Amino acid sequence: MAVLEELREAVLTGDKDRAVEVTRLGLETSIDPQALIDDAMIPAMDEVGRRFEEEEYFVPELLLSARAMKAALELIRPLLADTGASSRGCIVIGTVKGDLHDIGKNLVSAMFEGAGFEVVDLGSDVSPEAFVAAAREKSADLVGLSALLTVTMPSMKSTIEALEAAGLRDRVKVLVGGAPLSTDYAVEIKADAYAPNATAAVRAAQELVGGRAPCR
Amino acid sequence: MSDPIRIELRPLGRSIEVERGTNLRDVLYAHGVEFPCGGRGRCKRCRVQLVEGTLPIDDEESALLSDREKEEGWRLACRCRVEAPVSLAVEQFRAPILVDHTPFLFEPRPGHGVAVDLGTTTLVAQLLDLQTGRVLAAQTALNPQGALGSDIMNRIELALSEDGRLQLVALARDAVEGLVRRAVTSAGLGGAPLEMLVLVGNTAMHHLFCGLDVAPLATVPFESESLGLQELRADEIGWKLPGNPLIRFLPCLGGFVGSDLLAGVLATRMHESDTLTALVDLGTNGEIVVGTGKRMLCTSTAAGPAFEAGGIEMGMQATTGAIDGVTAGDGSMQCRVLGGGGARGICGSGLVDAVAAGLDLGWIEPSGRLAEGRRIVHLDGPVHLTQNDVRQLQLAKGAIAAGLKILLRRLGTAGAATPQVNLAGAFGNYVNRDSARRIGLLDYPDGKVEPVGNTALLGAKLALFAPEREAADISQLSERIEHVALAADSSFMEVFVGEMRFPDRS
Repeated sequence: MAVLEELREAVLTGDKDRAVEVTRLGLETSIDPQALIDDAMIPAMDEVGRRFEEEEYFVPELLLSARAMKAALELIRPLLADTGASSRGCIVIGTVKGDLHDIGKNLVSAMFEGAGFEVVDLGSDVSPEAFVAAAREKSADLVGLSALLTVTMPSMKSTIEALEAAGLRDRVKVLVGGAPLSTDYAVEIKADAYAPNATAAVRAAQELVGGRAPCR
Repeated sequence: MSDPIRIELRPLGRSIEVERGTNLRDVLYAHGVEFPCGGRGRCKRCRVQLVEGTLPIDDEESALLSDREKEEGWRLACRCRVEAPVSLAVEQFRAPILVDHTPFLFEPRPGHGVAVDLGTTTLVAQLLDLQTGRVLAAQTALNPQGALGSDIMNRIELALSEDGRLQLVALARDAVEGLVRRAVTSAGLGGAPLEMLVLVGNTAMHHLFCGLDVAPLATVPFESESLGLQELRADEIGWKLPGNPLIRFLPCLGGFVGSDLLAGVLATRMHESDTLTALVDLGTNGEIVVGTGKRMLCTSTAAGPAFEAGGIEMGMQATTGAIDGVTAGDGSMQCRVLGGGGARGICGSGLVDAVAAGLDLGWIEPSGRLAEGRRIVHLDGPVHLTQNDVRQLQLAKGAIAAGLKILLRRLGTAGAATPQVNLAGAFGNYVNRDSARRIGLLDYPDGKVEPVGNTALLGAKLALFAPEREAADISQLSERIEHVALAADSSFMEVFVGEMRFPDRS
């Protein structure tokens, strides 16, 4: 199918205008919106992730692809709103309190969407209370916490403690990431997993909560 | 060292041993000699005087010096290789303070003072005669806090606990005191009183030295309330220095932009200029001031350690065995190795050169990807670049270029005028400007980018000589320079990502 192939290529090369154009064309020629996601965008973002891991792609390429994907997704989303059929789970994500760095978090957020998750992005400098409120309200399956600074890592711990205190911890998995982190630290603060990069984050999310319900 | 040669440095009263054939430029920077033109024989500011021994002189250097200068033994440190033991008088410590070759106007007063650049990695102090403006002694040392973490954020984190904070404060103060004492001793001052110490440094050093709370530096919005000029008496912090001098730590500019940059503004006289100028300190924490005397903006940008070859697979400091220069020609790379022996690794300036050469040769694509399926780029002997090395440099240069671009945009001058770019600090002194342009780190026309040396120390010296009313002006100046928080700028991510690419010039 030419449209699917073209959309896949547009996302892969980060060509936002082309991605939007092809998506529009596809919808006009009444291609199943779900197929645009499942058969073009998700495979494209998979390939983007693979190229990133192979060091062929770097942050700029990843962001361009994510941008192309998001632009196309915005056209498709209204058509899926009722069914929620596209979602593979609900993820609440944010950079923890005290930290403004959001490039890495934005990448991971885009990769989650590319992998079919529904993502609620809370932005940066997000308080433990805000994470708890969003996780509860959206009935999230997974909370993703990001920190770039060693000095803000303790905010991850307090966020996890807040989820526990709110009685949500047995329903919500916690995935942590960011430059200064490690698996050891993730274990220490009782997170469920640590991901060193965006593609590892997607893999971890799929293992932890893949195939769950969309956000409420 | 296979064949050590001794170099005696006057008036420092210090001697160093180097390998035969070593370029003076490679070893004298660590001892306070500056190379403002980047060692290209343009500015002659690295002049040294041969007191004893012989130093070969080549035609190129000979043409740069007058007959009289040669007769008197003057040589350009940037052009000389040492072949036999020598004794050198270092011009920069004998000359009155110069700013752009203009004698600095100061009010002579009796006594002595010390200017200190308290850096994250290194400390430099110069002892000055306040009557004549002459440097009587210069001392350098590594910042002993480095043993507790090379990264400034690690130290701030440590300082969040009371024990850690006290430890870091003591280390900084002891190191500066030691430096001052050594300077006094080597100048043979005996018990002559010191009038004043002027210190400059980044915001964290300012806070740690002065014993201020660093907690505001550890969290959003990274803005401390105590950025101002700090004054202490030596005995207040337990120092028993002759004359119990006043210690003045110049004010920070905001966030992570410290008084080192304020001193740079003073030293380059940006605040009195009508020309659009950028002062850039290329470090792990890149600091930038942009503007004219009318309006100045500053910011800090997290470049990471790539410029110091940190996080680079075969990265090393600029010492013997480091590739510090690479050029492309005849379809291959020619590498310059410090000390002349075999290559063991690559330093920051070598990395910038190597990537620039790789781009010219088509071995590296403008996206940063190694071309034609390469896994590595061979440089010299066992030394090579990996894909990740190139990525680390992309992050560093993207952060600097984006910071500069956003400040220019905020000033409303982007595209309208090309700034004069002054490079402060050690890396700015060493980096090849053509390469810096080639990789898009400083993509400005030839002649628009100039290294200006250790302007932090120079500015500290100017402050030391400034009469009291000017000291008040310095505080005012720090308030006039507006701080921009890049992380809070909505366009930062887009600009940063755009600047990670290399310019396409094939």
